[in-house]
Amino acid sequence: MVSRAENLARIARAATPTILGVFGAFLLAAPLRLFEGNVATPLIPLVVVYFWSLYSPGHLPAASIFFIGLLQDLLSGGPLGLWPAVYLAVQYVAISQQSYFLGREVHVVWMGFAVAAASVSLILWLFMSLMSATLLPLGGLALQMLTTIAVYPLFAVAFGNIHRRVIIEV
Amino acid sequence: MDVLGQDKREVFGLRSNSHTGTLLFALVSLILLLSSLYAAEASVFKKARETAMETASPVLKLFSGPIGWINDRVGDVGDYFRVLEQNKALREENAALRQWEDEARSLRAVISALEELDAYEAPPAVKPINAFVIGEANEAYAHSMIVNAGANAGAAVGYAAVDERGMVGRIVDVSKSASRILLLNDIQSRIPVFVEGSFVEGLLIGKSTSNPSIAITMLANGDRIEKGQRVITSGAGGVLPRGLTVGVISKVTDEEAVVELAADYARTRLVRIISYRFPQIEESGSDSENETPARDERRGAQGSAPQAAQNPARPVEQGVAAAPVETAAAPPARTGANTAGANTVGANTVDANTAGATAPAPASPDEGD
Repeated sequence: MVSRAENLARIARAATPTILGVFGAFLLAAPLRLFEGNVATPLIPLVVVYFWSLYSPGHLPAASIFFIGLLQDLLSGGPLGLWPAVYLAVQYVAISQQSYFLGREVHVVWMGFAVAAASVSLILWLFMSLMSATLLPLGGLALQMLTTIAVYPLFAVAFGNIHRRVIIEV
Repeated sequence: MDVLGQDKREVFGLRSNSHTGTLLFALVSLILLLSSLYAAEASVFKKARETAMETASPVLKLFSGPIGWINDRVGDVGDYFRVLEQNKALREENAALRQWEDEARSLRAVISALEELDAYEAPPAVKPINAFVIGEANEAYAHSMIVNAGANAGAAVGYAAVDERGMVGRIVDVSKSASRILLLNDIQSRIPVFVEGSFVEGLLIGKSTSNPSIAITMLANGDRIEKGQRVITSGAGGVLPRGLTVGVISKVTDEEAVVELAADYARTRLVRIISYRFPQIEESGSDSENETPARDERRGAQGSAPQAAQNPARPVEQGVAAAPVETAAAPPARTGANTAGANTVGANTVDANTAGATAPAPASPDEGD
């Protein structure tokens, strides 16, 4: 007989990736201002989406990704639907490349993330430039993506541990 | 490093074989994106943003508290290492401010003497709304901040927000207890400004870089703009008050004049929201009403300064009648003397409004040269 508390705990564990993504979206909306504003806040939701799409897509369903992206759009005040589309595209590519990346060394997966982040930047830049009818500067976006790529290994290790210890039953 | 899937080809938990869900939600988000672009100001999307902001504001407050605390501690540690140079810079600034204090005192004496005259009516005291920054958009192409004052505190869409250095932006979304400020460097930001010293009015356009710029191609006298001139809000269009400090011209090219903002967004913690409504003209025209007629006259006198100077016989009447059109369309004046006068009126009005928040210097220091 499974008690209600155990059930809740299981749901909470299964929802951990989504919660982490939501946390990342809130962190993006918080006035972090790392190093007196010189370093952009890393896009943690992108790491969450890439990581779990690769290692356990079932724990981060498309609906969760849509919600995380929509939250990010709502909090930043940008056009609604932009980040969900971007994150879902990342998920699509990650799942389709899963068979290549699984079992590879860590730096290969890291490279994969770098490529994904660069593609995301390009899409964002093209879209926003199109929308504003000018060529927007790339500097800020590049800085944010480089920061995200740089912190990816840290988060990958942390998420791996979280996945092993929290999400899967020990 | 210990990362999942490194040693063996492991996939944990549920395996998702199909792309159906992804594609379905991607389609939904694309439709959402297109419709939100097609009708960006549609009430549904606006409502959604406001609701999300209202719901998220307690969480953001929860986040911003410890972040502010940590930033303060880190800043303190950094200050220990730079204490000497900071001391020197502060001493220099102090000396410069002392001179300004002297000048301000003498000007205050002049103003109080002028206030003794019968013609003067004090502008209505407007209380600015203080608010803390609880959130900001940390995305490359979205520059906005969320503050913890909303409609309940008296904030409304269109109000300007200033910090202790200068104008930060203006409010675009308001919920009950939070509002979003669109920063001056956002790609959507358009602010009517006035360049002191060259007497040029223009539109400050956000470029998504750290510094916005004034497009010169559309300006008649753009070539008069020079580096180092001070930029303030012009009040054209009646949305923002006149005289809020915006920044300093840092670079001039054939096409644009880049403005270095006075506000430092990496340090903005507390903002002041300036409630401002363009004075409405009462049809009845009687003098016995509340404070609005007084402001009408002030704005009128400011807007039609040249005419008033030419026709001193009926200054007030013309000023009231012509106020909105004149202020919106024409630059305040064409000669130096007139503009200096009009300028000071504007500066005073704002000074009273902001209660010294951004206390604009009483006319450009360059004008005396």
